[in-house]
Amino acid sequence: MKTLTIISFLLFLTCTIGFAQPTSLGKYPARTLTVEPGIGIHTNFGTDLLLSTLVQWTPEPHVSFASHSSFNINNITQREFNNIKTNYNYSLNQKFGVGTTLYAKRSSHSFFLMAGAKYTAYKETLHNPDFVPVSSAISSWSPDYGMMYSLKKGWKKYFFTFRMYLPLYPWPMKGSDINYSDSNMNNVALEFGVGIKLK
Amino acid sequence: MKNSNAYYHILRTVAVLQILSLAACKEEAFSPMQTREFSIPSVLTGATYNIKVGLPSHFDASTGGYAAIYVLDGEENFALVANQCQEISNARETQNVLVVSIGYGRDRNMDYTPTATGMGTTGGAPEFLNFIKNELIPKMEQDFGAATTRESRTVLGHSFGGLFATYAFAHDNDLFGNYIMLSPSIWYDNEVVLKYESQNRAVNKDQRQLVYLGQGEMENAGRMQAPFEAFYEIIGKNYSDVRLTKNLEKQLDHVGSKNPNIRKGLNFYFQNR
Repeated sequence: MKTLTIISFLLFLTCTIGFAQPTSLGKYPARTLTVEPGIGIHTNFGTDLLLSTLVQWTPEPHVSFASHSSFNINNITQREFNNIKTNYNYSLNQKFGVGTTLYAKRSSHSFFLMAGAKYTAYKETLHNPDFVPVSSAISSWSPDYGMMYSLKKGWKKYFFTFRMYLPLYPWPMKGSDINYSDSNMNNVALEFGVGIKLK
Repeated sequence: MKNSNAYYHILRTVAVLQILSLAACKEEAFSPMQTREFSIPSVLTGATYNIKVGLPSHFDASTGGYAAIYVLDGEENFALVANQCQEISNARETQNVLVVSIGYGRDRNMDYTPTATGMGTTGGAPEFLNFIKNELIPKMEQDFGAATTRESRTVLGHSFGGLFATYAFAHDNDLFGNYIMLSPSIWYDNEVVLKYESQNRAVNKDQRQLVYLGQGEMENAGRMQAPFEAFYEIIGKNYSDVRLTKNLEKQLDHVGSKNPNIRKGLNFYFQNR
Protein backbone atom coordinates (compact mmCIF):
# COMPACT_ATOMS: atom_id res chain seq x y z
CA MET A 1 0.00 0.00 0.00
CA LYS A 2 2.85 2.32 0.94
CA THR A 3 4.54 1.54 -2.36
CA LEU A 4 1.38 2.23 -4.32
CA THR A 5 0.94 5.56 -2.56
CA ILE A 6 4.45 6.64 -3.39
CA ILE A 7 4.17 5.49 -6.99
CA SER A 8 0.89 7.33 -7.40
CA PHE A 9 2.34 10.54 -5.99
CA LEU A 10 5.43 10.32 -8.17
CA LEU A 11 3.52 9.63 -11.33
CA PHE A 12 0.99 12.33 -10.64
CA LEU A 13 3.57 14.98 -9.93
CA THR A 14 6.02 14.11 -12.65
CA CYS A 15 3.41 13.69 -15.31
CA THR A 16 1.75 16.92 -14.28
CA ILE A 17 5.03 18.71 -14.77
CA GLY A 18 6.31 16.77 -17.72
CA PHE A 19 3.19 16.64 -19.84
CA ALA A 20 1.62 19.97 -18.95
CA GLN A 21 1.25 22.19 -21.98
CA PRO A 22 2.08 25.88 -21.69
CA THR A 23 -1.08 27.95 -21.36
CA SER A 24 -1.68 31.53 -22.14
CA LEU A 25 -1.44 33.86 -19.17
CA GLY A 26 -4.27 35.93 -20.57
CA LYS A 27 -5.65 38.38 -18.05
CA TYR A 28 -3.88 36.99 -14.98
CA PRO A 29 -1.13 39.19 -13.55
CA ALA A 30 2.33 37.69 -13.29
CA ARG A 31 4.50 37.59 -10.20
CA THR A 32 8.20 37.45 -10.87
CA LEU A 33 9.61 37.37 -7.33
CA THR A 34 7.95 36.15 -4.15
CA VAL A 35 9.06 35.21 -0.66
CA GLU A 36 6.88 32.78 1.27
CA PRO A 37 7.61 32.08 4.93
CA GLY A 38 5.64 29.21 6.40
CA ILE A 39 5.30 26.57 9.04
CA GLY A 40 4.60 22.90 8.54
CA ILE A 41 4.83 19.32 9.56
CA HIS A 42 6.22 16.08 8.24
CA THR A 43 3.70 13.35 7.60
CA ASN A 44 5.35 11.03 10.18
CA PHE A 45 2.44 11.56 12.56
CA GLY A 46 3.13 15.30 12.57
CA THR A 47 5.82 15.10 15.23
CA ASP A 48 8.27 17.43 13.46
CA LEU A 49 7.81 21.22 13.34
CA LEU A 50 9.07 22.91 10.17
CA LEU A 51 9.94 26.60 9.89
CA SER A 52 10.61 27.37 6.25
CA THR A 53 10.86 29.94 3.49
CA LEU A 54 10.36 29.56 -0.23
CA VAL A 55 11.75 32.20 -2.55
CA GLN A 56 10.39 31.88 -6.08
CA TRP A 57 11.64 33.68 -9.16
CA THR A 58 9.59 33.41 -12.34
CA PRO A 59 11.51 35.19 -15.11
CA GLU A 60 9.23 33.73 -17.80
CA PRO A 61 5.55 32.95 -17.22
CA HIS A 62 6.12 29.20 -17.32
CA VAL A 63 9.70 28.99 -16.12
CA SER A 64 10.29 29.24 -12.38
CA PHE A 65 13.23 28.84 -10.06
CA ALA A 66 12.98 28.27 -6.34
CA SER A 67 15.08 28.32 -3.21
CA HIS A 68 13.69 26.50 -0.19
CA SER A 69 15.22 26.80 3.28
CA SER A 70 13.95 24.97 6.30
CA PHE A 71 14.79 24.55 9.97
CA ASN A 72 13.09 21.50 11.45
CA ILE A 73 12.65 20.77 15.12
CA ASN A 74 12.25 17.01 14.97
CA ASN A 75 10.15 14.84 17.25
CA ILE A 76 9.05 17.91 19.17
CA THR A 77 6.17 16.24 20.97
CA GLN A 78 8.05 13.37 22.61
CA ARG A 79 11.34 14.37 24.22
CA GLU A 80 11.12 11.86 27.07
CA PHE A 81 10.20 8.20 26.51
CA ASN A 82 10.87 5.09 28.62
CA ASN A 83 13.87 6.68 30.40
CA ILE A 84 15.24 8.02 27.11
CA LYS A 85 15.68 11.77 26.88
CA THR A 86 16.10 13.59 23.58
CA ASN A 87 18.64 16.31 24.31
CA TYR A 88 18.29 17.93 20.88
CA ASN A 89 17.00 16.91 17.48
CA TYR A 90 16.94 19.23 14.48
CA SER A 91 17.56 19.41 10.74
CA LEU A 92 18.67 22.17 8.40
CA ASN A 93 17.65 21.90 4.75
CA GLN A 94 18.57 23.98 1.74
CA LYS A 95 17.31 23.14 -1.73
CA PHE A 96 17.18 24.81 -5.11
CA GLY A 97 14.79 23.94 -7.86
CA VAL A 98 13.59 24.53 -11.38
CA GLY A 99 10.05 24.07 -12.55
CA THR A 100 7.00 25.52 -14.15
CA THR A 101 3.99 27.55 -13.10
CA LEU A 102 0.41 27.09 -14.26
CA TYR A 103 -2.16 29.84 -13.77
CA ALA A 104 -5.84 29.87 -12.81
CA LYS A 105 -8.28 32.65 -12.12
CA ARG A 106 -7.52 33.12 -8.43
CA SER A 107 -4.39 31.05 -7.96
CA SER A 108 -1.19 29.74 -9.43
CA HIS A 109 0.33 26.28 -9.20
CA SER A 110 4.07 25.71 -9.35
CA PHE A 111 5.86 22.38 -9.70
CA PHE A 112 9.57 22.05 -9.05
CA LEU A 113 12.31 19.47 -9.21
CA MET A 114 14.48 20.27 -6.21
CA ALA A 115 18.02 19.36 -5.17
CA GLY A 116 20.06 20.34 -2.15
CA ALA A 117 21.43 19.12 1.12
CA LYS A 118 20.16 18.25 4.58
CA TYR A 119 22.00 18.31 7.88
CA THR A 120 20.51 16.42 10.81
CA ALA A 121 21.79 16.40 14.39
CA TYR A 122 20.34 14.73 17.42
CA LYS A 123 21.36 13.39 20.80
CA GLU A 124 19.63 10.93 23.11
CA THR A 125 20.49 9.94 26.66
CA LEU A 126 19.40 6.78 28.42
CA HIS A 127 18.96 7.66 32.08
CA ASN A 128 17.42 4.48 33.43
CA PRO A 129 18.07 4.59 37.21
CA ASP A 130 19.27 0.97 37.12
CA PHE A 131 22.16 1.74 34.75
CA VAL A 132 24.95 4.21 34.15
CA PRO A 133 23.67 6.99 31.84
CA VAL A 134 24.68 6.52 28.20
CA SER A 135 24.38 9.13 25.45
CA SER A 136 24.45 8.81 21.70
CA ALA A 137 24.90 11.80 19.40
CA ILE A 138 24.47 11.68 15.63
CA SER A 139 25.23 14.36 13.06
CA SER A 140 24.76 13.60 9.42
CA TRP A 141 24.79 15.27 6.01
CA SER A 142 22.76 13.85 3.19
CA PRO A 143 21.66 14.89 -0.28
CA ASP A 144 18.07 16.03 -0.58
CA TYR A 145 16.26 15.52 -3.89
CA GLY A 146 12.56 15.76 -4.48
CA MET A 147 9.51 17.36 -6.02
CA MET A 148 7.66 20.35 -4.70
CA TYR A 149 4.19 21.60 -5.41
CA SER A 150 3.43 25.19 -4.43
CA LEU A 151 -0.04 26.74 -4.42
CA LYS A 152 -0.46 30.49 -4.26
CA LYS A 153 -3.99 31.67 -3.59
CA GLY A 154 -4.78 35.30 -4.36
CA TRP A 155 -3.14 37.92 -6.58
CA LYS A 156 -2.55 40.78 -4.14
CA LYS A 157 0.74 41.73 -2.48
CA TYR A 158 0.02 39.25 0.33
CA PHE A 159 -1.40 35.87 -0.52
CA PHE A 160 -2.01 32.45 1.02
CA THR A 161 0.56 29.82 0.20
CA PHE A 162 0.65 26.06 0.60
CA ARG A 163 3.37 23.70 -0.48
CA MET A 164 4.00 19.99 -0.42
CA TYR A 165 7.42 18.39 -0.75
CA LEU A 166 7.89 14.79 -1.78
CA PRO A 167 11.47 13.55 -1.25
CA LEU A 168 13.15 11.31 -3.83
CA TYR A 169 15.94 10.42 -1.42
CA PRO A 170 16.98 7.88 -0.25
CA TRP A 171 14.56 6.02 -2.57
CA PRO A 172 15.17 5.78 -5.49
CA MET A 173 18.25 8.01 -5.73
CA LYS A 174 20.36 6.18 -3.10
CA GLY A 175 19.12 2.73 -4.10
CA SER A 176 16.15 0.86 -5.54
CA ASP A 177 15.31 -1.07 -2.33
CA ILE A 178 11.70 -0.05 -1.76
CA ASN A 179 12.26 -0.26 2.01
CA TYR A 180 14.33 2.90 1.70
CA SER A 181 11.06 4.75 1.08
CA ASP A 182 10.55 4.56 4.84
CA SER A 183 12.77 7.64 5.05
CA ASN A 184 11.05 9.32 2.10
CA MET A 185 7.66 8.92 3.73
CA ASN A 186 8.97 10.29 7.01
CA ASN A 187 10.04 13.47 5.24
CA VAL A 188 7.02 14.33 3.14
CA ALA A 189 6.40 17.94 4.13
CA LEU A 190 3.21 19.99 4.24
CA GLU A 191 3.69 23.71 4.79
CA PHE A 192 1.37 26.73 5.03
CA GLY A 193 2.12 30.42 5.16
CA VAL A 194 1.63 33.95 3.87
CA GLY A 195 3.44 34.89 0.70
CA ILE A 196 4.70 38.34 -0.19
CA LYS A 197 4.98 39.60 -3.76
CA LEU A 198 8.23 41.55 -4.10
CA LYS A 199 8.10 42.12 -7.90
CA MET B 1 10.42 28.93 -27.93
CA LYS B 2 13.29 26.54 -28.73
CA ASN B 3 14.45 26.65 -25.08
CA SER B 4 10.93 26.07 -23.89
CA ASN B 5 10.62 22.91 -26.05
CA ALA B 6 13.91 21.57 -24.71
CA TYR B 7 12.72 22.24 -21.18
CA TYR B 8 9.52 20.26 -21.64
CA HIS B 9 11.45 17.50 -23.44
CA ILE B 10 13.70 17.09 -20.36
CA LEU B 11 10.73 16.88 -18.03
CA ARG B 12 9.02 14.28 -20.21
CA THR B 13 12.23 12.24 -20.23
CA VAL B 14 12.34 12.36 -16.42
CA ALA B 15 8.74 11.10 -16.33
CA VAL B 16 9.49 8.20 -18.68
CA LEU B 17 12.64 7.24 -16.74
CA GLN B 18 10.67 7.22 -13.52
CA ILE B 19 8.01 4.93 -14.98
CA LEU B 20 10.77 2.57 -16.20
CA SER B 21 12.45 2.58 -12.78
CA LEU B 22 9.16 1.51 -11.18
CA ALA B 23 9.00 -1.44 -13.56
CA ALA B 24 12.40 -2.51 -12.22
CA CYS B 25 10.99 -3.09 -8.70
CA LYS B 26 10.62 -6.83 -8.16
CA GLU B 27 10.35 -9.13 -5.20
CA GLU B 28 13.38 -11.22 -4.29
CA ALA B 29 13.05 -15.01 -4.42
CA PHE B 30 15.23 -17.96 -3.42
CA SER B 31 15.59 -21.06 -5.56
CA PRO B 32 12.54 -23.34 -5.01
CA MET B 33 14.83 -26.33 -5.71
CA GLN B 34 16.81 -25.51 -2.58
CA THR B 35 13.83 -24.69 -0.38
CA ARG B 36 11.87 -27.03 1.88
CA GLU B 37 8.66 -25.98 3.61
CA PHE B 38 6.72 -27.47 6.48
CA SER B 39 4.35 -26.45 9.26
CA ILE B 40 5.03 -27.16 12.89
CA PRO B 41 2.29 -26.95 15.50
CA SER B 42 3.63 -25.79 18.84
CA VAL B 43 2.34 -27.18 22.07
CA LEU B 44 4.19 -24.43 23.93
CA THR B 45 2.67 -21.41 22.12
CA GLY B 46 -0.52 -23.03 20.85
CA ALA B 47 0.18 -21.75 17.33
CA THR B 48 1.30 -23.35 14.08
CA TYR B 49 4.39 -21.92 12.41
CA ASN B 50 5.23 -22.10 8.73
CA ILE B 51 8.89 -22.92 8.37
CA LYS B 52 10.97 -22.52 5.23
CA VAL B 53 14.45 -23.95 5.08
CA GLY B 54 17.01 -22.69 2.58
CA LEU B 55 19.40 -25.53 1.86
CA PRO B 56 23.09 -25.31 0.99
CA SER B 57 24.23 -26.59 -2.41
CA HIS B 58 24.82 -30.35 -2.42
CA PHE B 59 22.76 -30.65 0.76
CA ASP B 60 22.77 -34.08 2.36
CA ALA B 61 20.95 -34.37 5.68
CA SER B 62 22.78 -37.57 6.57
CA THR B 63 26.10 -35.71 6.49
CA GLY B 64 24.95 -33.49 9.34
CA GLY B 65 26.88 -30.74 11.06
CA TYR B 66 25.21 -27.84 9.28
CA ALA B 67 25.23 -24.46 10.97
CA ALA B 68 21.81 -22.80 11.01
CA ILE B 69 20.54 -19.23 10.96
CA TYR B 70 17.10 -18.81 12.51
CA VAL B 71 15.39 -15.86 10.80
CA LEU B 72 12.58 -13.99 12.52
CA ASP B 73 9.90 -12.26 10.45
CA GLY B 74 10.84 -15.06 8.09
CA GLU B 75 8.08 -14.38 5.60
CA GLU B 76 9.68 -11.01 4.84
CA ASN B 77 13.35 -11.85 5.20
CA PHE B 78 13.87 -15.42 4.04
CA ALA B 79 14.76 -14.86 0.39
CA LEU B 80 17.25 -12.09 1.06
CA VAL B 81 18.98 -14.00 3.85
CA ALA B 82 19.09 -17.26 1.89
CA ASN B 83 20.45 -15.58 -1.26
CA GLN B 84 23.03 -13.63 0.72
CA CYS B 85 24.23 -16.72 2.57
CA GLN B 86 24.65 -18.56 -0.71
CA GLU B 87 26.47 -15.64 -2.30
CA ILE B 88 28.80 -15.07 0.65
CA SER B 89 29.60 -18.74 1.18
CA ASN B 90 30.32 -19.16 -2.55
CA ALA B 91 32.59 -16.12 -2.55
CA ARG B 92 34.43 -17.34 0.55
CA GLU B 93 34.45 -20.95 -0.68
CA THR B 94 33.10 -22.12 2.64
CA GLN B 95 30.27 -24.38 3.77
CA ASN B 96 26.90 -22.65 3.54
CA VAL B 97 24.33 -22.74 6.33
CA LEU B 98 20.74 -23.82 6.74
CA VAL B 99 18.54 -20.72 6.63
CA VAL B 100 15.52 -21.42 8.83
CA SER B 101 12.73 -18.94 8.25
CA ILE B 102 10.19 -18.81 11.07
CA GLY B 103 6.85 -17.55 9.80
CA TYR B 104 4.18 -15.91 11.88
CA GLY B 105 2.28 -18.23 14.19
CA ARG B 106 0.85 -15.79 16.65
CA ASP B 107 1.01 -12.02 16.42
CA ARG B 108 4.69 -11.01 16.16
CA ASN B 109 4.12 -8.48 18.93
CA MET B 110 3.17 -11.42 21.13
CA ASP B 111 5.97 -13.77 20.13
CA TYR B 112 8.83 -11.28 20.11
CA THR B 113 8.21 -9.26 23.29
CA PRO B 114 9.44 -10.56 26.64
CA THR B 115 6.89 -8.92 28.95
CA ALA B 116 3.23 -7.99 28.83
CA THR B 117 2.68 -4.24 28.67
CA GLY B 118 -0.17 -2.02 27.61
CA MET B 119 0.95 -2.21 23.97
CA GLY B 120 -1.70 -4.65 22.77
CA THR B 121 -1.07 -8.39 22.91
CA THR B 122 2.48 -8.78 24.15
CA GLY B 123 4.71 -10.82 26.41
CA GLY B 124 4.94 -14.20 24.66
CA ALA B 125 8.71 -14.32 24.04
CA PRO B 126 9.41 -16.85 26.82
CA GLU B 127 7.05 -19.41 25.21
CA PHE B 128 8.29 -18.58 21.71
CA LEU B 129 11.90 -19.07 22.80
CA ASN B 130 10.93 -22.41 24.33
CA PHE B 131 9.22 -23.34 21.06
CA ILE B 132 12.45 -22.69 19.17
CA LYS B 133 14.51 -24.51 21.78
CA ASN B 134 12.35 -27.57 22.41
CA GLU B 135 10.36 -28.05 19.21
CA LEU B 136 11.98 -26.38 16.21
CA ILE B 137 15.67 -26.93 16.85
CA PRO B 138 15.26 -30.66 17.63
CA LYS B 139 13.35 -31.06 14.34
CA MET B 140 16.06 -29.23 12.44
CA GLU B 141 18.70 -31.46 14.00
CA GLN B 142 16.77 -34.62 13.31
CA ASP B 143 15.45 -33.95 9.80
CA PHE B 144 17.98 -31.52 8.31
CA GLY B 145 21.28 -32.44 9.88
CA ALA B 146 21.63 -29.18 11.82
CA ALA B 147 24.64 -29.17 14.12
CA THR B 148 23.91 -29.51 17.82
CA THR B 149 26.36 -26.99 19.22
CA ARG B 150 25.48 -23.51 20.48
CA GLU B 151 28.22 -22.02 18.26
CA SER B 152 26.52 -23.41 15.15
CA ARG B 153 23.26 -21.53 15.82
CA THR B 154 22.47 -17.90 14.90
CA VAL B 155 19.39 -15.81 15.48
CA LEU B 156 18.60 -12.85 13.19
CA GLY B 157 15.86 -10.35 13.96
CA HIS B 158 14.79 -6.81 13.17
CA SER B 159 12.87 -4.33 15.36
CA PHE B 160 10.79 -6.44 17.75
CA GLY B 161 12.64 -9.38 16.18
CA GLY B 162 15.87 -7.63 17.23
CA LEU B 163 14.40 -7.25 20.70
CA PHE B 164 13.74 -10.99 20.76
CA ALA B 165 17.38 -11.63 19.76
CA THR B 166 18.58 -9.46 22.65
CA TYR B 167 16.18 -11.32 24.94
CA ALA B 168 17.62 -14.66 23.79
CA PHE B 169 21.13 -13.30 24.36
CA ALA B 170 20.36 -12.09 27.86
CA HIS B 171 17.95 -14.72 29.09
CA ASP B 172 18.97 -18.01 27.45
CA ASN B 173 22.49 -17.54 26.22
CA ASP B 174 23.10 -21.28 25.91
CA LEU B 175 20.81 -21.54 22.89
CA PHE B 176 22.54 -19.31 20.30
CA GLY B 177 26.19 -18.45 19.96
CA ASN B 178 25.69 -15.82 17.24
CA TYR B 179 23.37 -12.82 17.18
CA ILE B 180 22.45 -10.50 14.32
CA MET B 181 20.40 -7.80 16.02
CA LEU B 182 18.95 -5.17 13.71
CA SER B 183 17.30 -2.01 15.05
CA PRO B 184 16.45 -3.85 18.28
CA SER B 185 13.62 -2.29 20.28
CA ILE B 186 15.66 -2.25 23.47
CA TRP B 187 13.50 0.62 24.71
CA TYR B 188 10.66 -1.86 25.22
CA ASP B 189 9.18 -1.90 28.74
CA ASN B 190 11.75 0.51 30.17
CA GLU B 191 14.67 -1.44 28.73
CA VAL B 192 13.71 -4.68 30.43
CA VAL B 193 16.20 -6.69 28.35
CA LEU B 194 19.05 -4.67 29.85
CA LYS B 195 17.86 -5.80 33.27
CA TYR B 196 17.85 -9.44 32.12
CA GLU B 197 21.35 -8.98 30.76
CA SER B 198 22.52 -7.55 34.06
CA GLN B 199 20.90 -10.35 36.08
CA ASN B 200 22.46 -13.11 33.94
CA ARG B 201 25.79 -11.50 33.15
CA ALA B 202 27.81 -13.55 35.60
CA VAL B 203 26.68 -16.76 33.89
CA ASN B 204 26.97 -15.50 30.32
CA LYS B 205 30.01 -13.26 30.25
CA ASP B 206 32.63 -15.92 29.61
CA GLN B 207 30.76 -17.70 26.83
CA ARG B 208 31.94 -17.14 23.28
CA GLN B 209 29.64 -14.59 21.59
CA LEU B 210 29.39 -13.21 18.09
CA VAL B 211 27.24 -10.09 18.04
CA TYR B 212 26.36 -7.81 15.13
CA LEU B 213 24.38 -4.72 16.07
CA GLY B 214 22.94 -2.73 13.16
CA GLN B 215 20.67 0.25 13.00
CA GLY B 216 19.72 3.19 10.77
CA GLU B 217 21.46 6.50 11.31
CA MET B 218 18.17 8.33 10.84
CA GLU B 219 16.24 6.44 13.51
CA ASN B 220 15.74 9.64 15.44
CA ALA B 221 12.33 9.12 17.03
CA GLY B 222 13.80 9.49 20.51
CA ARG B 223 14.03 5.83 21.51
CA MET B 224 16.46 3.84 19.38
CA GLN B 225 19.99 5.25 19.57
CA ALA B 226 20.77 5.59 23.28
CA PRO B 227 19.63 2.05 24.30
CA PHE B 228 21.45 0.65 21.24
CA GLU B 229 24.65 2.38 22.34
CA ALA B 230 24.15 1.27 25.94
CA PHE B 231 23.76 -2.39 24.90
CA TYR B 232 26.84 -2.14 22.67
CA GLU B 233 28.91 -0.66 25.53
CA ILE B 234 27.69 -3.22 28.06
CA ILE B 235 28.66 -6.15 25.83
CA GLY B 236 31.99 -4.62 24.85
CA LYS B 237 33.00 -3.91 28.45
CA ASN B 238 31.72 -6.99 30.22
CA TYR B 239 32.07 -9.99 27.92
CA SER B 240 35.49 -11.59 27.70
CA ASP B 241 35.16 -13.67 24.53
CA VAL B 242 33.04 -11.57 22.20
CA ARG B 243 33.34 -10.67 18.54
CA LEU B 244 31.31 -7.51 18.46
CA THR B 245 30.62 -4.83 15.90
CA LYS B 246 28.02 -2.17 15.31
CA ASN B 247 26.91 -0.38 12.18
CA LEU B 248 24.80 2.71 11.68
CA GLU B 249 23.50 2.64 8.13
CA LYS B 250 23.98 6.09 6.61
CA GLN B 251 20.91 8.19 5.85
CA LEU B 252 18.48 5.32 6.40
CA ASP B 253 15.61 4.89 8.81
CA HIS B 254 14.12 1.95 10.71
CA VAL B 255 12.83 -0.11 7.78
CA GLY B 256 15.26 1.14 5.14
CA SER B 257 18.31 0.10 7.14
CA LYS B 258 17.13 -3.50 7.56
CA ASN B 259 18.33 -5.07 4.30
CA PRO B 260 21.75 -3.35 4.20
CA ASN B 261 22.30 -4.44 7.79
CA ILE B 262 21.22 -8.01 6.98
CA ARG B 263 23.91 -8.10 4.28
CA LYS B 264 26.58 -6.64 6.56
CA GLY B 265 25.53 -8.80 9.50
CA LEU B 266 25.79 -11.97 7.45
CA ASN B 267 29.20 -10.94 6.11
CA PHE B 268 30.35 -10.34 9.69
CA TYR B 269 29.05 -13.76 10.68
CA PHE B 270 30.78 -15.63 7.84
CA GLN B 271 34.03 -13.76 8.48
CA ASN B 272 34.11 -14.42 12.20
CA ARG B 273 32.23 -17.62 12.92
